[in-house]
Amino acid sequence: MKPEIIQKLREIVGNDNLYTSLEDLYCYTYDASFVKADLKKDLAGVAVYPANTEEVAQILKLANQERIPVVPRGAGSNVSGGSISVGDCIVLVLKRMNKILELDRKNLIAVVEPGVITSQLQSEAEQVGLFYPPDPASQAFSTMGGNVAECAGGPRGVKYGVTRDYVIGLEVVLPSGEVMNTGGRALKNVTGYDMTKLFTGSEGTLCVITKIIVKLIPLPEAKSTMMAVFPEIDQACETVSEIIAMGLVPCSLELLDNIYIRNIEEYAKVGLPTEAGAVLLIEVDGDAEILTKQIGKIEQICRRLGAVQIRVAKTKDEADELWRARRSAFAAVSRVKPTIIGEDATVPRSSIPAAVRRIQEIAAKYNLIIAILGHAGDGNLHATILTDETDLEEAARVEKAIDEIFIATVELGGSLSGEHGIGRAKSKYITLQIGEVGLEVQHQIKKALDPNNILNPGVMFGA
Amino acid sequence: MERSFDSWEQEVIRCIRCGACQNVCPVFKELQAESTVARGRVKLIRGVIDKDLELTEGFINKMSLCLMCKACVVNCPSGVKVDKLVEAARKEIAEKKGLSPLKNLIFRLVLKNRWVFNTGMKAGSVLQGLVFRKGPLGQGMLPRMSLGIDKRRLLSPLAAKSFKAMYPVVIKVPAAKLRVAFFTGCMINYIYTDTGRAVINVLKRIGVEVVIPALQNCCGTPVRINGDYETAKAMARANIDAFLKEEVDAVVVACGTCGLSLKEEYAELLEDDPVYAEKAKHLGSMIKDFAELVVSLDGFEDKMGPLPLKVTYHDPCHLVRGLRVKEQPRQIIRSIPGVDFKEMSKPDTCCGSAGSFSLYHYELSTKINDHKVEDVNQTGAEVLVTGCSACRMHIADGLNRQGVSVKVMHTAQLLEMAYEAKAH
Repeated sequence: MKPEIIQKLREIVGNDNLYTSLEDLYCYTYDASFVKADLKKDLAGVAVYPANTEEVAQILKLANQERIPVVPRGAGSNVSGGSISVGDCIVLVLKRMNKILELDRKNLIAVVEPGVITSQLQSEAEQVGLFYPPDPASQAFSTMGGNVAECAGGPRGVKYGVTRDYVIGLEVVLPSGEVMNTGGRALKNVTGYDMTKLFTGSEGTLCVITKIIVKLIPLPEAKSTMMAVFPEIDQACETVSEIIAMGLVPCSLELLDNIYIRNIEEYAKVGLPTEAGAVLLIEVDGDAEILTKQIGKIEQICRRLGAVQIRVAKTKDEADELWRARRSAFAAVSRVKPTIIGEDATVPRSSIPAAVRRIQEIAAKYNLIIAILGHAGDGNLHATILTDETDLEEAARVEKAIDEIFIATVELGGSLSGEHGIGRAKSKYITLQIGEVGLEVQHQIKKALDPNNILNPGVMFGA
Repeated sequence: MERSFDSWEQEVIRCIRCGACQNVCPVFKELQAESTVARGRVKLIRGVIDKDLELTEGFINKMSLCLMCKACVVNCPSGVKVDKLVEAARKEIAEKKGLSPLKNLIFRLVLKNRWVFNTGMKAGSVLQGLVFRKGPLGQGMLPRMSLGIDKRRLLSPLAAKSFKAMYPVVIKVPAAKLRVAFFTGCMINYIYTDTGRAVINVLKRIGVEVVIPALQNCCGTPVRINGDYETAKAMARANIDAFLKEEVDAVVVACGTCGLSLKEEYAELLEDDPVYAEKAKHLGSMIKDFAELVVSLDGFEDKMGPLPLKVTYHDPCHLVRGLRVKEQPRQIIRSIPGVDFKEMSKPDTCCGSAGSFSLYHYELSTKINDHKVEDVNQTGAEVLVTGCSACRMHIADGLNRQGVSVKVMHTAQLLEMAYEAKAH
């Protein structure tokens, strides 16, 4: 990058908030995805940490004039390769803009800067009896800006929806450097196109988010947790469909397959039968008085469909113990193989049994270990490929297996990504789902807002 | 450990770059650059192994910016041993690039040679009054003139007489129920002799005979974590010889870092040594932290007088995450009549000392320390108890800089006070 550009950026953000050394820039060539930047052509020219909207606007204006790519980044916990450096770019890190500006109890909204950590907003909201439900696994360190840009989900999606369902207004900076406000504080708002929804999940390709207005809901009074063990995974899948069909809406409905069960038991000794085909971890929340009744109904469904073991937590400690199995899942499988690739293809809920079968067939075909740990309640199956990235022959088989999982997902009427985003990891598959016309329309939108293609080039549509 | 640097690839690839370490790394909390969090360090190390990067000054600096506090290690979903990786990188740097002249002098001449260290410390204890003045509350001392360190930096004075010079080798008690050897560590021996005295007095009171082997030296951790394995191994062997010679039931340590070194790290360091591998394991099996030993003995609570004090406790990194001693010191504090124990927020977050880290990165280590001081202050405690002398010095410095009047002491000292309160 030209020294005069770096000098101008230094004047905007200050010397302490700008990084140019090889060692610093090397650390923006990755995020939490398995996508790797090509060091020769994709090492950033500079990383900047602006303090406010005005600085972001100045940076984007400069980048647009000079046609320099800009990669917006929060905590870098992106799982689709959307926050890694590309070309001789500017990495724009929004972590310094980390204030919760308002918690408005009268309107049930919060206004936050993009660098606020998701769990921080959640705990501050809870202190005043309010609730921000989206709960991506990375919530303890992911940023709100990143959550909005990717439209993050989480286990609670089955009952409470995803980030998109809570964002009602944004302040964004366009590639031109202009500041734009979308939506607002009113819950009903149909003035013009719904730009808020367009920008939510736009993966840093259309604008840089600098302020977020989210709606909050009252904090549910209580929770009740249970675990059901099934001899066959089909029975568990059928149970999920039946619970949904009966009109019961748990706030979490998590499925663990036999590979997870065996490894969790070996690792954490939580008392799971290792021969079981699947475990469902189910949580309901709401008014304390109706919870027992709800759990009772779910218990009946589980038994009817073949559950051999059911544990209902009576205390918070017992509930924590049940969740311990789920929480230790990742650590448990990471002992098996060094590289873990978590996919997030999502299918309509009724197709879960078929999707699970297809994934198992693909695993057998390519002789791979593919475990399943899904937010089964919303069809979001996280197929987890356990592999070793230093084994190149196996890596080639992994790639083919992933291709087939995507094709199967689309055939079953599902989505390439439920909550991780397309990023750079899945851009080559996008037409599979949205079609040629869909792709053309999305290209036009991108061109209208970012004519010079400076914002996160390569993300969503490929290079 | 004769393990090649490249062989650590198997460990680095286990990092899935999820970013969970951002939530707990004290250095990242201050600096925020991706290269200053565990994930970044692991990636940089991988870069060197993959030959993307070289052992540049930039890389060396990033590797120095780790407290070795293990917060990322216990929080890591895949359990990547980040501290071991950083240590391996520092070893590679020391071997390929050499140590700085100052580190070379300190590690290879002073710390390794007991008499040089001892003579230097003796001379220091006489001369220090010329350049330092007394700190507030009679605690510590402040530089009188600029010494290349911040003039507000509260250091603790070298003791007029070293701890080992104050006591005989064997401290007998009538009808001893246990015989233990005491590994003093450098800070207790040369600076905080009051902690050493408290350890002896408490153990005597409980009926434990204490041996203080004369030939013990520094545990070697400062040397090892800066990458000088040859010197660290020589020091480990000397300590193993000094302690295995004694006929004792256990070896007691009153510092988490020294304790972890003797209990686990000597065995790792010497695993390929035909003679010392087994000896290191044997010594490791005998190590007990002071608090761990005390609560395992019957009747330690019996002889206490009341202490009407509000007390809080700071978990030293290597004691809580290394030796996994967490409840025992709290059990001791709570057992003292009259003590009002107030837990601070995040008691197990690093205080920022990290031994020599606080000398190379003083500004940063004070910023990290400021959060600890704030958390201590929030409790309203009059006494902060901890289990490590380096934490004690660094937190006392922080409290002094911010004008907070809280006494800082080792767990053994609070217990000694309780026993004395009964006697009077």
